[in-house]
Amino acid sequence: MDDTNRGQENAHPPAIVEVRNLTKRFGAKLVLDNVSVSIEKGKTTVIIGPSGCGKTVLIKHLIVLIRPSSGQVYFEGRRIDHLSERQLSRVRTHFGYLFQEGALFDSMTVAENILFPIRQNYRVKNWHQIEDVVKAKLAIVGLDGFQNYYPARLSGGQRKRVALARAIALNPEVILYDEPTTGLDPIRSDIINELILKLERELGVTTVVVTHDMKSAYKVADRIIMLHNGKMIADGDADHIRNHPHPVVQQFINGQVGEDDLAVLRMNGSAGSAQFLPRDFEE
Amino acid sequence: MIGALGARTIQDVVNAGHFGRFAWRSVNTSARSCVSRRTYPLVWTQIYLIGWLSAPVIMITGAFVGMTLAVQAYDQLAGMGLEEHLGTLINISVVKELGPVLAAVMLAGRVGGALTAELGTMNVTEQIDAVRSMGTDPIRYLVAPRLLACLLLTPVLIIYADVLGIIGGALVSFLQFGINSRAYWDLSAYGVDFWDVGVGVVKGFFFGAAIAVISCYKGFTCQEGAHGVGQACTEAFVSSFIWILALDFALAVISKNIYEIFWPLKSLVG
Repeated sequence: MDDTNRGQENAHPPAIVEVRNLTKRFGAKLVLDNVSVSIEKGKTTVIIGPSGCGKTVLIKHLIVLIRPSSGQVYFEGRRIDHLSERQLSRVRTHFGYLFQEGALFDSMTVAENILFPIRQNYRVKNWHQIEDVVKAKLAIVGLDGFQNYYPARLSGGQRKRVALARAIALNPEVILYDEPTTGLDPIRSDIINELILKLERELGVTTVVVTHDMKSAYKVADRIIMLHNGKMIADGDADHIRNHPHPVVQQFINGQVGEDDLAVLRMNGSAGSAQFLPRDFEE
Repeated sequence: MIGALGARTIQDVVNAGHFGRFAWRSVNTSARSCVSRRTYPLVWTQIYLIGWLSAPVIMITGAFVGMTLAVQAYDQLAGMGLEEHLGTLINISVVKELGPVLAAVMLAGRVGGALTAELGTMNVTEQIDAVRSMGTDPIRYLVAPRLLACLLLTPVLIIYADVLGIIGGALVSFLQFGINSRAYWDLSAYGVDFWDVGVGVVKGFFFGAAIAVISCYKGFTCQEGAHGVGQACTEAFVSSFIWILALDFALAVISKNIYEIFWPLKSLVG
């Protein structure tokens, strides 16, 4: 039922990022348990799974924002998990990372946010050219003209699009998306999905998306990996996942609550017994 | 019980190790940032936020310290007919101990709290991870400018506190107690030398570094949520306060020993 070795059995394009036997503990809590994943170059890999299953922890390991408890992380065949922060800084410029809430710098304007990685990594001399770069990056996400806005003035969807423009500021080879559609309405979610596809198509980037939005996953994925309790329990294309025999995979993709969860709800009492009237507290 | 105590001890040792590593990286990175022109605009911004905006409150603190000392010490000295020595007592207390320590405590509250809250909020909203993800070392970008600004400005602010403390003490002595101003200043000049002022100012470098490193560390390791940020600010202030007092004691001992090496007979002559 478990098909975690599928990556080794089938012929795949070369891996640009790879984690091997990755285990992560936070104190006594085991979050990732011996996970091995190869991210194929130029493809879109979607990591799905219920909340708290370790998806975000896994994607943060890909650029070593979190260090593994054991196991290794490779980028273009070179091991990176043991590098110093200074050495990692150079590696990370090959990646763009869209954070769940955008993580835009509140004290900077939209243009300054997009300029941030450029100014930090290059000695900028031609400011007119840089302004054009910012304009072009914003045009990609459909927000040209918002250069002087502060993040607080933007809607949730706009913030994510600005964060995406910032993520692609350094022309990365790999873009990592952490829950890109969470908190957005269906239309805004679809705009983000279209942007993911557009960037993959036009820039030829490798994409990794963490999500529990199955509509988004089916739309953008070349390959879907499912995590459950820190382990990889499914790996394949959209059809493979749709027809996967594992009951947890079927429950998740169909949005059905499991018998175990229902049993817990039944055991913890009825909703009626939790109701009260004001006179219950009055003498 | 013993198991819990052991686990707590191990955790405390681990935390101390993390703090030591963070402090070492911060100092090391700040030293390298001194020669990087890119850091200067960031340091200027912090100089404005830390130095300029803190100056009024530090000056008020210094003035009240001097005035209170005058009120408290007058009766004791007057009882012995030594009221003209009030200036020596006030000024030596202000420049050597109370000015530096109270100015640093005020800075720990005003600046340290703001640093922890700002960096803590950036931490819980993943902005620090965002800095790292874009190939920038957050210690260089966020900690070094704050550490350099605190290092440079705490001694300056201590001088402000000292000056206002001296003026405050003198005004109360002259206006309220009618002490002869000439005798007051002559005896003060005799009792307080540059060494005393220098010791107080040098303490400022250590206090400033401690406030910046502790506050930034607490911000970087802040737990999630409003409660986490609030708790980090409280811990930053309490830790800074204890470190200021501990450093003050250590520097007092060291400065006394140095003084006795270079001027072994001065106290006898004086």
